Amino acid sequence: MFKFFSSSNVYFLIQNLIKFINSIFFLVLVVGLTFALVLSPPDYIQGDSVRIMYVHVPSAWIGLACFSFISLFSVLNFIFKIKNFYFINKSIAPIGLLFTCLAIVTGSLWGQPTWGTWWAWDARLTSMLVLMLFYVFYILVFKIIKNENLIIKISSIVAIVGSINLPIIKYSVEWWSTLHQPASIKITGSSAIHSSMLLPLMTMLFVFLLYAALIFLMKYKTEIIRIKKKNIKRL
Amino acid sequence: MITEFISMNGYGLYVWFSFSIVVISCAIVYYKTRKTLKKYEKEFLVELEALSLEEKNKALRTSKVAQQILAANSKIN
Repeated sequence: MFKFFSSSNVYFLIQNLIKFINSIFFLVLVVGLTFALVLSPPDYIQGDSVRIMYVHVPSAWIGLACFSFISLFSVLNFIFKIKNFYFINKSIAPIGLLFTCLAIVTGSLWGQPTWGTWWAWDARLTSMLVLMLFYVFYILVFKIIKNENLIIKISSIVAIVGSINLPIIKYSVEWWSTLHQPASIKITGSSAIHSSMLLPLMTMLFVFLLYAALIFLMKYKTEIIRIKKKNIKRL
Repeated sequence: MITEFISMNGYGLYVWFSFSIVVISCAIVYYKTRKTLKKYEKEFLVELEALSLEEKNKALRTSKVAQQILAANSKIN
């Protein structure tokens, strides 16, 4: 079992996965964009501005998911001292930051035609901004600190403290009166979104997930090479 | 019809700008990540080449990653 997860096997698997994602990505992207921009209907209140949802919602979900993984792996790293989690987190963080920034920017572009403002200090928007700041702090720890053990400790603390913000983001629209609408899609219970919009949303989510996986694999592969390069004389 | 599609009933600016920002930023991140990966692969190969023949053979024998980087690079060349 552990032999299967050796760096050489993982490296071989990563190479094949990158090739596979590269080969299907363009096709999936074209399908997703066709659904989002052409085939999906306009909303009866928001009109065509609702199409921004197809990039805004998947970005926000991936931004949140990345920080959830970072927090989980930080806790596991704290307990079990598995260094691999450190490299996984280092590879995930820039993806999370990218998608959180995209969620904030596209949300602002959606807010102007629907709410009449680019920005409001409401609970959902502010908590997403806080998440972005946590990502920035987290990445800065890797950039500023040179001692690897100290990086692991401080970055884990940032991630664990930042994880307190995750339920606040999720439930902000229920706990406070916000400009942001409550969740339309629920894992448990029925979703308040028609299938003609749900299908393009899920297709775009799949496109974003493929992209996130591709960047993660490339970054993780870079980390493996960096370690091997450091230890080349000892190989 | 094309004008209607582009204008999106007056929301075109917001919709196209949102999609463009996403596509452009994702393309930049992809390009930068790929460039860094290639840079590290190249640096790894340079260091591998700088080793003595004995050290190089030992490195290739013991590290499958080194073998794979060398094989991938020789395919490209």
